[in-house]
Amino acid sequence: MTTIETPAPQPSGTLSSGSRLFSLASRYGTFVAFLVLIAVNIAVTPNFLSWQTLNVNLTQVATIVIVATGMTLVIATGGIDLSVGSLMAISGALAPMIFMGQFWQVENMAFAVALAFLIPVAVASLFGLFNGLLVTRFSIQPIIATLVLFIAGRGIAQVMTNGNLQVFKNEGFQFIAMGRIAGIPAQVVLMVVIVILASAMIRYTVIGRQIIAVGGNEKAARLTGIPVKRVKLLVYMISGALAGLAGLVVVARNSASDANLVGLGMELDAIAAVAVGGTLLTGGRANIVGTLLGAFVIQLVRYTLLANGVPDAAALIVKAGLIVLAVFIQQRADRH
Amino acid sequence: MTTISRRTLMLAATAIGALAVAGVAIAEVPKLAQKDTYKVGFAQTESNNPWRIAQTNSMKAEAEKLGYQLVYTDAAGSAAKQVADVNSMIAQGVDVIFLAPREEKPLIPAVMAAKKAGIPVILLDRSVDPSLAKAGEDYLTFIGSNFVEEGKRVAEWLAKNANGKSKIIELEGTTGSSPANDRKKGFDEAIQAAGGFEIVASQTGDFARDKGRQVAEALLQAHPDADIIYAHNDEMAIGAIAALEAAGKVPGKDVLVLSIDGGKEAVQLVVDGKIAAVVECNPRFGPKAFETMQRYAKGEAIEPNLVNEDKFYDASNAAAELANAY
Repeated sequence: MTTIETPAPQPSGTLSSGSRLFSLASRYGTFVAFLVLIAVNIAVTPNFLSWQTLNVNLTQVATIVIVATGMTLVIATGGIDLSVGSLMAISGALAPMIFMGQFWQVENMAFAVALAFLIPVAVASLFGLFNGLLVTRFSIQPIIATLVLFIAGRGIAQVMTNGNLQVFKNEGFQFIAMGRIAGIPAQVVLMVVIVILASAMIRYTVIGRQIIAVGGNEKAARLTGIPVKRVKLLVYMISGALAGLAGLVVVARNSASDANLVGLGMELDAIAAVAVGGTLLTGGRANIVGTLLGAFVIQLVRYTLLANGVPDAAALIVKAGLIVLAVFIQQRADRH
Repeated sequence: MTTISRRTLMLAATAIGALAVAGVAIAEVPKLAQKDTYKVGFAQTESNNPWRIAQTNSMKAEAEKLGYQLVYTDAAGSAAKQVADVNSMIAQGVDVIFLAPREEKPLIPAVMAAKKAGIPVILLDRSVDPSLAKAGEDYLTFIGSNFVEEGKRVAEWLAKNANGKSKIIELEGTTGSSPANDRKKGFDEAIQAAGGFEIVASQTGDFARDKGRQVAEALLQAHPDADIIYAHNDEMAIGAIAALEAAGKVPGKDVLVLSIDGGKEAVQLVVDGKIAAVVECNPRFGPKAFETMQRYAKGEAIEPNLVNEDKFYDASNAAAELANAY
């Protein structure tokens, strides 16, 4: 315990082959797992190599990736956001109420649809701000602070809708999930844009570096003059807004909004994608592309098991096993 | 033979004696006097979906038709509130209590309290734990749909109308729930008996539209030769239709979609030709419930389990029945 480890980078030759393996696995493990899964599917799953399979998987994974991107930012600051699923339910409940004229008479449908995009996302990001305030102003641990809205958020959505299913048909609004841009499904385009923006933010902007710094060593970050609280507020707001957006995609895809079910269990999928993607749950690292791959791996595992007739319950166990493996590899790699 | 019957008699006599000594009431449902009008209680469990609302409306309409006074409570999804609701009905001195128990065990005290107060209880659509309360002893009877029969009717329709289609994808309800278990059992057994069909995949869609769609998308991709989808409820069937359309198939033509529940949205889809047939899970309990109560007042013996008749919708009657769907 008294030995002080030298932080200086060691030449790779002095590393034992085992630790080098783990550090390689940590860096490329998710990608390798992704390739292995694809290979397995080509061999085993009937009709895997088709555009429709790609289409199905990309459209299904889009909402997880959108939410997980926000989650990556929150986790990079050393926090966690359990409220994302409930925020999806709130925004998913709000949008149809707006364009179906439950709040006010709809006179101009295009305007109402625009509001049906803006207001729910804004409301979700305000709830994210509330999470952030609990974490920063009241110094509540993130897992507890966001647990508040994890529980209450779905309740709010259920109260708003009376727990009733809202069924609708609105081409303008549903473009976000049914439409195609240059032949590519709209939610896939949305997913790609969000991933590119987020990784550019982490890599090239001051705020991005600040997020990493806050997660790496909060005290040091504060001493160097980084506005730690403001950075944290921002990541929770982004996470809330992205969850809100994902909620819109889900209800638009189904032509129906069910406050009891929209986003149910999404927080776990998102955290799993982040963990499998190689972002440290202790903060200080944000691997957005890793998260994207992590989400792909989880989606592919689910698809593989489903398409080959393995019951859903088994898929859950495999998902848990993947997370354990990912965290294990990370820890081993970080020990050196 | 005679020895057995004598022994049973002795045992019964001893049991009754022991009960009398212990001061416990004899296990029998309280009697109901014959009157022109009654004050009846209906303890609803929640009213957040069309099915529950239809059930409540049916009870209210029937009570009004008969000129009975109905005391209605809504437990809003809380078993504790439902127990309190039943107790308040007892305090108000109702003649009969119709109870749609939220959960099997927590509602036992409500059933027992009513029995103690001399008020017969009739259970609707869900039952209570049979090891703790018995029909004909603690409550009068249970009225509900037969989920096994519902699955069987879908299979029987297919056996007659599949027109050569034979490869089935089954979307199951929430794993372990009784409607999912029974609708699977009824369907699988009947389709096996019919012969010539094959269930190529059977996975849970959790009774939910989104999950049903995602599972259907994956299964259709893995089994492109599937030409029948059987969903355990309307929501998953509607999700499956979205999946079919996304895959460029025509529901009703390339693939037959079948469902159970028969809400308005699903019956409309039958009219549109997208769902081939749907078995209703009947929410209209009013007529059966009040008829049973009147039969009991007349002194008739009531069976411990009454089946509420379910309708069946397909292309032949959907348009005509649409207005009556809940």
